Amino acid sequence: MSARPLLDLELAAEAAALPAMRRQLCATLERLRVPAATRDRLVLAVHEACANVIRHGYGDRAGGRMRLSVYRVRQWLHFRLRDQAPALVPPTLVARDLDECRPGGLGLPIIDQTMQRWCWLPQRHRDGNVLNMWCRWSKGVS
Amino acid sequence: MAEAMQQHGVDQSQSGPWSVLDVYGEVELSWSPDLRQEVLAVLAKSSALAVRLARVTYIDSSGIAALVEGFQRARSHHQRFVLLSPSPPVRSVLELARLDRVFPIFPDLAAATAAGG
Repeated sequence: MSARPLLDLELAAEAAALPAMRRQLCATLERLRVPAATRDRLVLAVHEACANVIRHGYGDRAGGRMRLSVYRVRQWLHFRLRDQAPALVPPTLVARDLDECRPGGLGLPIIDQTMQRWCWLPQRHRDGNVLNMWCRWSKGVS
Repeated sequence: MAEAMQQHGVDQSQSGPWSVLDVYGEVELSWSPDLRQEVLAVLAKSSALAVRLARVTYIDSSGIAALVEGFQRARSHHQRFVLLSPSPPVRSVLELARLDRVFPIFPDLAAATAAGG
């Protein structure tokens, strides 16, 4: 990734770190004049991605870190979230059917419905995952 | 989204047969387990629960999950469970998760009572 990030934020993999992340991401999107409804959905989707790292990536392991980078590439907003948690198995990352009413499992569907594209890349030879999410911001979130 | 650090919490009251939880602030990962406990604790001793969400400024999937769990628990025990006046951020997430057609949602307790909750 050669473009300079609009936001490059390293944060603790703790729930307490998420409000500050949301505020910084919100401010970044406001500077881009992303419409409020789109902005709020993007902030929620990124929050859900971070929450998944905390809950399912690091789990009970304390001291984990993650890094959120946001880029603008032409008409796309690219959100990249990196962690050093144990590598996840990609086939387990499937957004569930929203017609199924049950508690939990809503994070990925929220990401899936907000972003035009997303992919999760586990590191092959060491711990860590990279989640890339793209949103075509000029047309908003459908 | 509010810029300042938000307080969050829940005020509990009783109105006729209804136990009312008035939730406020940001409902997210750091606090939603407490809300879940609060919802389940009320359902353990009340036959009708209304969760007012007008003062909720942010909610994530863990907060929604706490509400879904309460709703399912109430339904399986033949109790009433309604949401009251969800704020725009809450309504947006409910719609995104397609739960606006699952939860009974009313503007106020009078409407919930009139509809049979």
